[in-house]
Amino acid sequence: MNTFFQQLVNGLTIGGIYALIALGYTMVYGVMKLINFAHGDLVALAAYIGLTIFMKVGTSSSGLSILLIVLIGTIMIIVFAGMMLELIAYRPLRNAGAPRLSAVVSALGASMVLENGMMLLWGPNLKIFPSNILPSSTWSIGGVIISSAQFFIIVSSLVFMLLLHLFINKTKLGTAIRAAAIDQEAAQLMGINVNRVIVTIFVLGSGLAAIGGIFVGIYYREVYFNMGWLYGLNAFVAAIVGGIGNIPGAMLGGILLGVFNAFISGYVSSSWSEAFTFILLIGILIFRPTGILGERVAEKV
Amino acid sequence: MKKLWGLFLVLAVAISLSSEAMASSYILIGVQAPITGKYANEGQGIAQAVKLIVSQQNAEGGILGKKIKVIVCDDEGTAVQAAICARDLVNKGVIAVIGSYTSTSTEAAEATYYRANVLQTSDGTSDRLTKHGYWTFFRNSFPNSAEAAFTAQYLVNKKHYKRIVVLSDHSSYSNGLSNAVAKAIKKAGGTVIYRGRITSGAQNFTPVLTKIKSMNPDVIYFGGYYTDGGLIRAQQVELRIKADFVGGDSVDNPDFLKLAGKSAAGTYLINVPTPSILPYPLAKNFLKAYKARYHMMPPSIWTLLNTDGLRAILFAIKETGTTNTVKLAKYLHNLKDFPGITGPVTFLKSGERTGSVYMTYEVQENGSKKIVYKEK
Repeated sequence: MNTFFQQLVNGLTIGGIYALIALGYTMVYGVMKLINFAHGDLVALAAYIGLTIFMKVGTSSSGLSILLIVLIGTIMIIVFAGMMLELIAYRPLRNAGAPRLSAVVSALGASMVLENGMMLLWGPNLKIFPSNILPSSTWSIGGVIISSAQFFIIVSSLVFMLLLHLFINKTKLGTAIRAAAIDQEAAQLMGINVNRVIVTIFVLGSGLAAIGGIFVGIYYREVYFNMGWLYGLNAFVAAIVGGIGNIPGAMLGGILLGVFNAFISGYVSSSWSEAFTFILLIGILIFRPTGILGERVAEKV
Repeated sequence: MKKLWGLFLVLAVAISLSSEAMASSYILIGVQAPITGKYANEGQGIAQAVKLIVSQQNAEGGILGKKIKVIVCDDEGTAVQAAICARDLVNKGVIAVIGSYTSTSTEAAEATYYRANVLQTSDGTSDRLTKHGYWTFFRNSFPNSAEAAFTAQYLVNKKHYKRIVVLSDHSSYSNGLSNAVAKAIKKAGGTVIYRGRITSGAQNFTPVLTKIKSMNPDVIYFGGYYTDGGLIRAQQVELRIKADFVGGDSVDNPDFLKLAGKSAAGTYLINVPTPSILPYPLAKNFLKAYKARYHMMPPSIWTLLNTDGLRAILFAIKETGTTNTVKLAKYLHNLKDFPGITGPVTFLKSGERTGSVYMTYEVQENGSKKIVYKEK
């Protein structure tokens, strides 16, 4: 039974990270019907930026204040990068009325630029986060081990997801986002600035990606230039499992995928865990193409 | 325009003729190594070491009255590029090739050198490299099976572990080594309670470690790369799995210590000696010369093993007084205890190097490594 709960904790930790990243995919898809393939690379970029800031602020002291500085600094830079991405790679295509496929190709191109840019800037060798960012204590609750980093990641991903949920459902801008997701043209006719909505979702998505990247950095402590692909792909699967375009779906999908992976590695075979991820994806696409929660599609007459 | 082309053609012919003429007054040695790509620093180390030895030899007046010239071909660590390099080096007329670094690109080039009667010496550890029956191939390192036998001996007979877990990733090196280790453990009378595989680069290994925890192992052996090994060890300690950790040769890297952090202390690493602790005066002189010329240390032991391959070939040329590769190979196959930088060099008929010198290091609290067990 201990093993079961331990796997649950393992799954929730990585699942929380997947969920944060999946939100970026799903929000962009919801409004623009575009898979932003460069999103995973923003996660890797965030880890590099976080590490760089951490090295500047000082490695001697640890504690929440340093972590807060790193987190805020990284979020600001990655949000800027996300806005640039939208401005350079997607907006010109949208303004020219290019087909959606062109935007997907542009996304893949942007991903390669980011990946190779990171390789040139920080080198092809892996970089390592210092181990003293969070106190390295672990607690044993009835035999189930949970470390402070895991606890921190699980709790704060839930908090950030709750904040996003409130923002989308309780604010005016959130309402505008929901409107644009249902029908861009109608939203525009109602006086909603769709370009501003799109910038907003890139800001939100990149901010969450930045948080995910920092979490990867402080928990796994290993950063390499093409790791964005790994997290991007898993988060993408999570977004589809939950129902792409659907915000609670991405949260659920991320956490479910993390837990699913942990149980497959734990009880079936660690060699096959990735294959099972994609079997799950195929299964969902065949039996429930809109994902577990399904996209909220407005009735079209 | 036509005239210009004519001129160009004449020039091209003249250049190719002159380089042909140059070739005969030199002894050509090829280097096939990953100069760019993932293993770039290892490949560059090999090329630098070969150039160093050759320039030392040339300073002494060359060999058989001729100077030696080095031709480097970048195989990028891939099989495709390795095959192209092999063709290229053979066409340029090399008599021997040093490299490549990885088993994969070494194997991809082996047949080409064999058909062209060109000697090849490589540090690849895959057992298959010497199984083709090519008389041209000489391994300057030791095969995975030798490391596996030593590892099993250490785990079963020295440490008396009863419940052994063997982990690897899916790469041919890691999977091959770990399979060999699992087999050798069984042969030595030990029990492998779990043989698992992880995805290299996955970073999250807690699920498989949690599964391992429920099996109560005495030791976790990981035969993969340091990038994963460091995280596996860190997560093992975090999950409070009270088993020893033993890593194979590719876990032995400074980054393993950084990734595992405090958890690195008490782990055991199995490898051939690191360059700086080689006891031979030859090794000390070589390292000094290398550092003086390139202002850095060789990236790893693999540089030195390849250097020994080259030195053995040069020695054979001197002793036999010929560059006929058939005669050279015959001489090398009977070579006994040639004083090498990495210890005595002896080749078997298969081109296998004997007399492996594996040892077990224990990582100390301060991050240094102490030798705790040596092969006799």
